[in-house]
Amino acid sequence: MSRTIPGDWHNGYIPNNAVVGDGAYVQTSWSFQLCRSRRDQAITLGENSSVYMRCMFDMGVEAQLIVGAYSQVNGLWLICDQSVTIGTHCLVSWNVVMMDNFRAPEDIPSRRRMLEEFAAGRDRRLTPAIKPRPVVIGNNVWINFDCCILPGVRIGDGSIIGARSVVDGEIPPYCIAAGNPARIIRFLSEKEDSLGRHNQT
Amino acid sequence: MSTPSVDWMTPWDGGTLPGGVHVGENTCIIGKAAFRRFRGQLADALVIGDQATMDGVQFSVGPAGRITIGSFCCFTGAVLMCELSISIGSYVLIGWNAVIADSDFHPIAPAERILDAVACSPAAREPRPKVLTAAVVIEDDVWIGPNATIFKGVHIGRGAWIGPGSVVTRNVAPGTRVAGNPARPMEES
Repeated sequence: MSRTIPGDWHNGYIPNNAVVGDGAYVQTSWSFQLCRSRRDQAITLGENSSVYMRCMFDMGVEAQLIVGAYSQVNGLWLICDQSVTIGTHCLVSWNVVMMDNFRAPEDIPSRRRMLEEFAAGRDRRLTPAIKPRPVVIGNNVWINFDCCILPGVRIGDGSIIGARSVVDGEIPPYCIAAGNPARIIRFLSEKEDSLGRHNQT
Repeated sequence: MSTPSVDWMTPWDGGTLPGGVHVGENTCIIGKAAFRRFRGQLADALVIGDQATMDGVQFSVGPAGRITIGSFCCFTGAVLMCELSISIGSYVLIGWNAVIADSDFHPIAPAERILDAVACSPAAREPRPKVLTAAVVIEDDVWIGPNATIFKGVHIGRGAWIGPGSVVTRNVAPGTRVAGNPARPMEES
């Protein structure tokens, strides 16, 4: 398989440790320029999934990203040092920030040290100074624009996260959550239609 | 591995720095869009200290605006909108898509806002009406999360932590953790 993308505006290629499933669409190699994961399979894009132009995968050496089949990732700003998993049939809108690591330590002397090492480094990449906490997004989850998904978050199957929400902690399956911090607005039934009517069949 | 083509040795990979922009030793500004909205007229419209990294930052500076940034700062993808004064200390970290603005952008009064809409239109003839501004101050060691917004007149004390997605409209005391919209101090956990 060719690692360049026809018509790509960015002069780059898809890294060899990214596995692109059958029928999956990747708009530009620009999204991968901050991926420095050394895992054999750093990025897995499921079949018929799509990764659009405004995605940026900033991944550390141990990082692993999995995007499930049929998921559409429109504009995901990803910071991943260990593991971020997005299920199947998910919709991720623009400007969504998802991180499994804040990277910068809380205490000020170590943060200063990190910034000094960063400025002295040849390629200016932040070396994470704290432990990552994996992010797990279930299947059929819809995350609206400008949301922040913080380290350690788990979102259950079928849930919706409203625009500009900040999610910290756990969101159960089949609910609508929104706000900063995100709270559950209501629960969804697996069987209801868009008008809230329950399917009798 | 994808090919990073960034030259970290030049002050700005987009070419020659505009007039009024001064950067210290080993400071670099990355991204062609950095000065697309830079209209600063002051001799010190943007002054950045040493060892700082401004990756994908947009400096939207008006004719009277003045931005000062200390040393060892690391900003990624932030938007700084300055009509008066934004001063940022050293060792400040700012995450993706954060916005810092020291003005209201447009007048509050409806009649003035009509004049402003005309002055901003392709048919503009008169200058824009005055817009309220108030200086923003961010002290040393502040951490600002991605998608956070800092509005005019805000003073953020040393070592404060601004949660991702926060909208900060009031002063933040030194060493405090705030989050939410509007941002409020977090409960101790």
